[in-house]
Amino acid sequence: MELNLNRVDYIQVGVTSPKTMRLLPASGRRATQKVVIGDHNGVVTCFGIKKGEAMPVFKSLPGQKISRLDLGGALNTPQEKIFVAIGSEIRGFTKRGKQFLSFETNLTESIKAMHISGADLFLCASYIFNHYCDCKDQHYYLSGDKINDVMCLSAEKLSRITPILACQDRVLRVLQGSDLMYEVEVPGPPTVLGLHNGDGGDSGEDLLFGTSDGKLGLIQITQAYPVHKWETINEKKRGGVLCIDSFDILGDGVKELLVGRDDGMVEIYSFDSANDPVLRYDQAFSESIMSIQGGCVGKDGYDEILTATYSGWVTGLSTEPAHKEAGPGDELKISQEMQNKIASLRSELEQLQFKVLQEREKYQQSAQSSTAVSAVPVFSVNEKFTLNRDDASYSLILEVQTAIDNVLVQSDVPVDLLDVDKNSAVVSFSGCDSEPNGNFLLATYRCQANTTRLELKIRSIEGQYGTLQAYITPRIQPKTCQVRQYQIKPLSLHQRTHVIEHDRPMNTLTLTGQFSFGEVHSWVVFCMPEVPEKTPVGESVTFYFQNTFLDTQLECTYRKGEGVFKSDNISTISILKDVLSKEATKKKINLNISYDINEDSVKHTLKMIHPKLEHQLLLAKKVQLIDALKELQIHEGNMDFLIPEYRGILEESDQLLQEYKKQPAHLERLYGMITDLFIDKFKFKGTNVKSKVPVLLEILDSYDQNSLMTFFDTA
Amino acid sequence: MLVPVFTLKLNHKINPRMVAVGKYDGVHPCLTAATQIGKVFIHNPYSRGQRESALRMMQSNQDSDVSLLNINQTVSCLTSGVLNPQLGCDSLVVGTQTNLLAYDVFNNSDLFYKEIADGANATVLGNLGDISSPLAIIGGNCALQGFDHKGNDLFWTVTGDIVRSLALCDFDGDGKKELLVGSEDFDIRVFKEDEIVTEMTETETITTLCPMNGNRFGYALSNGTVGVYDRTVRYWRIKSKNYATSIHAFDLNSDGVRELITGWSNGKIDARSDRTGEVIFKDNFTSSIAGVVEGDYRMDGNPQLICCSVDGEVRGYLPSSQEMKGNMMDTSVEQELVRELSQKKQNLLLELRNYEENTKVELNGQMSEVDCQMGVIPANTQLQTTLSVNLGSDTQSCHVELTISTSNDSIIRAVLIFAEGIFEGESHVIHPSLQNLSTRIRVPILPPKDVPVDLHIKAFVGYKGSTQFHVFELTRQLPRFSMYAFCRPGSALEPKSFVKFTISERVQRVVMWLNQNFLLLGETEIQNAPFQICFTSLRGAGLLSMKMKASGEISVNTDDMDLAGDIIQSLASFLAIEDLQVEADFPTYFERLRKVLLKVDEYHSVHQKLTADMADRSNLIRSMLVQAEDARLLRDMKNMKKRYMELNDLNKDLINGYKICCNNHSELLGNLKEVNQAIQRAGRLRVGKPKTQVITACRDAIRNNNVNMLFRIMRIGMASS
Repeated sequence: MELNLNRVDYIQVGVTSPKTMRLLPASGRRATQKVVIGDHNGVVTCFGIKKGEAMPVFKSLPGQKISRLDLGGALNTPQEKIFVAIGSEIRGFTKRGKQFLSFETNLTESIKAMHISGADLFLCASYIFNHYCDCKDQHYYLSGDKINDVMCLSAEKLSRITPILACQDRVLRVLQGSDLMYEVEVPGPPTVLGLHNGDGGDSGEDLLFGTSDGKLGLIQITQAYPVHKWETINEKKRGGVLCIDSFDILGDGVKELLVGRDDGMVEIYSFDSANDPVLRYDQAFSESIMSIQGGCVGKDGYDEILTATYSGWVTGLSTEPAHKEAGPGDELKISQEMQNKIASLRSELEQLQFKVLQEREKYQQSAQSSTAVSAVPVFSVNEKFTLNRDDASYSLILEVQTAIDNVLVQSDVPVDLLDVDKNSAVVSFSGCDSEPNGNFLLATYRCQANTTRLELKIRSIEGQYGTLQAYITPRIQPKTCQVRQYQIKPLSLHQRTHVIEHDRPMNTLTLTGQFSFGEVHSWVVFCMPEVPEKTPVGESVTFYFQNTFLDTQLECTYRKGEGVFKSDNISTISILKDVLSKEATKKKINLNISYDINEDSVKHTLKMIHPKLEHQLLLAKKVQLIDALKELQIHEGNMDFLIPEYRGILEESDQLLQEYKKQPAHLERLYGMITDLFIDKFKFKGTNVKSKVPVLLEILDSYDQNSLMTFFDTA
Repeated sequence: MLVPVFTLKLNHKINPRMVAVGKYDGVHPCLTAATQIGKVFIHNPYSRGQRESALRMMQSNQDSDVSLLNINQTVSCLTSGVLNPQLGCDSLVVGTQTNLLAYDVFNNSDLFYKEIADGANATVLGNLGDISSPLAIIGGNCALQGFDHKGNDLFWTVTGDIVRSLALCDFDGDGKKELLVGSEDFDIRVFKEDEIVTEMTETETITTLCPMNGNRFGYALSNGTVGVYDRTVRYWRIKSKNYATSIHAFDLNSDGVRELITGWSNGKIDARSDRTGEVIFKDNFTSSIAGVVEGDYRMDGNPQLICCSVDGEVRGYLPSSQEMKGNMMDTSVEQELVRELSQKKQNLLLELRNYEENTKVELNGQMSEVDCQMGVIPANTQLQTTLSVNLGSDTQSCHVELTISTSNDSIIRAVLIFAEGIFEGESHVIHPSLQNLSTRIRVPILPPKDVPVDLHIKAFVGYKGSTQFHVFELTRQLPRFSMYAFCRPGSALEPKSFVKFTISERVQRVVMWLNQNFLLLGETEIQNAPFQICFTSLRGAGLLSMKMKASGEISVNTDDMDLAGDIIQSLASFLAIEDLQVEADFPTYFERLRKVLLKVDEYHSVHQKLTADMADRSNLIRSMLVQAEDARLLRDMKNMKKRYMELNDLNKDLINGYKICCNNHSELLGNLKEVNQAIQRAGRLRVGKPKTQVITACRDAIRNNNVNMLFRIMRIGMASS
């Protein structure tokens, strides 16, 4: 069945956080549902739609920002009580807008995630999970990494209470009381959890998750162990998942999966006979989708998907046809409604304009006074800075409530800015002087009108670390700009993982000295991405990492007074050694650094690189041939005379070109890493081989695994 | 929503910008485009396999309705249209770097085949001014040439740089077509036959031009800009990170006004209103757009817009019907309007909130740490900018210096300057490191050309440690001749080269011009003639001295002929002088030109000799090959080997010869360009009629190979003694 959805914009509230919009259950005779949404101004807005216009039911007073909004109520009754998380406080509203609860939790941080089930309240701050029952503290858990979301398996279906935490270190932590039952590793940092079918499926144990790198999955959380049902791999490179819901929009009696992403994608997945998800529909919005839910809002009898975006737009994707095939009179009425809406908006605008003009004048007059100050409130920026596994590059996503005028990107380390197809801004690189101002990158992005979201791609080099800054100027008067900083860490291409191969030949770097657990942890945080800033509990800790480009690995184990770093890549150890000794010297701590170099590791790393290098070289060679072969094809009219290899190249030329385009400078990066490996290998031996690098490059140009190995051995 | 009425997949690559539609038999439109390896393909869906392969034409093996035309050289431009009105059908015109071919496709015969020394980078077919027969006009190395159907050269003139785009448009509304020329020196020039009417300076190489409604025309630049001019006034322009490969005017929404259709390098195609630049329709191809043309490809009387991608995908669009009311986008207009209005409302509310919060902070009084982070600054903070000339130091070359400073203790975190044509990209950023932050920033500016530039300055003002800054936006104009520093007369030897002319204007007006176009900073107080004023070039091009006598005679001494031309053009437009005859002498430049002319002769003769050599050698090869093959048949292996060795040597010689020939050719082209540029420069020293006269006279002198006459014309501006 072809699904045709029409976009309807309802209202705009302030900036919203993920999971802050819900539909109240339909009540009484009316089949349409009301919408509640909480924004960063602290306002809870509840409205219904009457004749295509938003009619407010209630609106709370502004205050601190609302980080979550959920519905609750006694089990097995309509869930129509509204709960919002504001700072460290939970407030409850009835569906008429009367506040019946104000619960000041004992959390010192503000609440990041919330789940409600009957009288049970599950709250999470950055690292802390708390379970309250009837506002009384029940259980407590301290997580190893940041908690992004919390969900509890349906209490109506199962008798037990099983809270699940989605943690930044790619792990779902399943709890029982205050204790960890088990951990489930997922393919990316999970950002959102949801119950399959809205109730956990047949077993009541089916849990959906979405990750910040755009993957989706379903896991059955049984009492003893997890069962992975399915996972998607995000082939189309879409944005991170921010919200999921289950709703039968197709009207086939089975609930579909609704997904909202941070690149503005709304997707509908249905399930095939094997219960695997199949993408049925997608639509691109221009900004992050923060909340999503299916229901009936705009018109009786027509289901729709309701979304809330970052800048607070509540938009529906309705099954109601845009132009009904009714009589001409009906058509007229619809446009009449529209006309009224536009007219009222216009008059509202006029009044506002007048008011703004007055205020603007007042503001400008204050420039004459010598005591007045000009203070413009901080605008909120939605940002995401993540490492992409596939091409070992960082993507930086900036989103502002209003249109962006321009963004200045500055870096004090050499990084490359890559082109992003989606991004329509005009980029201009400015010449920079590394001396005396320490700029290695100065680029401006001048955005086209109505751009609220900007995506950049950055390629870093391991070993060179510093700060990337983005100065964001939105198009709003009085003009201000905000600077955001992003750390490029020394081992920027490493990613956290939970398992490594232990049988690889490893090089070891050992630190000993008078340093505390906190200090050594701060050094690790400084060097590695994806490590929680909070010092872990316990005596010692072990983290595993994987190099996203070369697939080499790193194991860090440290405690008070000692740190052990093991990697099969000698360059990783070399970078760590340099950075750690520099950091320790800065803090005037006496460090004993000893290292144990395994000669085999170099050979092993080269072997790891070999297939990648060979593939790239072959690809480059093939791509080079494509044009010439195509000419031949046109000249000769057919390609029967070509050897099969060439015919093959011609046949798959499109894929080859696409692959080649997707990873620019891949070969150069590989060369760079081999060169580093070469230099580092001999650095540990105390010899400087920089002079031999040209010879190495020559060998690489006519690459052959054996000659490269021999060169590494003999040089 | 507008959908294509037909889609074709041609299995041929299409070279960008080389697409045309022609009715070669007078009836059936054929899509014609240049493809790889010097071939042109003609897609004729109406005559399946009727034609035999002959002469240049070759039937494609793959598709029956595509025939290939062998040009055997890399095609550089292509167009089709009526060249011979008697023929009653369209002709195809194909230009390469050395030749121009006018071809009658139907009869499969050449109309003419001409050698073009200056190459053909762009071509256009049509009537120009009062010239009665249609011309195939080509633009090459600084030269423009027009041929009629017999190959007679009826039009010739020079222009400032390598021509990239041409269009015919009734620019001044006199009912006759003028020629628009876009070139690599960023100028769009308008020629009324061989007289330059207007020049408009853009910010990058002009890659495409197209006539629109009335005297409007569209243009596209290599930096991604697309826009529309109404005569000399730019109506609108937009810039994208992709660049436009093709533009075309077509009435897509049936409102009687043609829209600007742009094909982009990323495969996008959009239609924009010619008045506002607003997008009324867009579509996407999978690969870069090669060309946008129009033709009645379905032969039903309604011309379609035809878009081709470089991969050979072709889509045709019919103009929208009346019912659609020009609404071709996906969403309804009302929805869009509501959204826009709501967005406006939200913006106003935000602005209002900004003011409210501002007053709140003000009432609180004292500044705290948090305020500092928020970037609270005194309300009376002002930004001052000054432009001055910095004569440089040991570490820095001389430059124009823009100083930006705040009026109190707030610091400038960074400065963004958006300006076109003077920086590598469109912007320049100054971002001092944390320890170098201060209330003042100096920006060195080195404009590469003498053009007035608007500097759009954005300065981020706040305090150390602020995370939010106030953005001060202001615009300063950089005068045209800012790269010339004022100096005392007599401080250096005056250049021998000069231009001299007389104007009947008050001195005050000239002084006003000086003040507007140079960075003088009140160093001069000239009240009346005679006066002398001197400048040194910051680009190291020596002294510039200007004298004005009481009689109104002005003499400008400089060794830089371009600069002299710029000064005269700028002064003439400021004083609204229509015609100006100028006496000029540039001894060093003329000497160089004389050498160049000698070299041109030399290269010409070398070229002839080399071609003869090549012909000899290829004859030799033929005989040798026969000998070698004979030896092989006779099983005389020794001889065969010997012959083939010789053949190999000869082949090497031939390749070497070819390389020499290539070098020779590129040298020749370079020198020819210089000659053309010299004529253009000589023209630029004059204004109005004298300018045209000089160019025509120079051309004649070169044709007659009269070098002395050439220099005489350049000096006094006319041919007659």
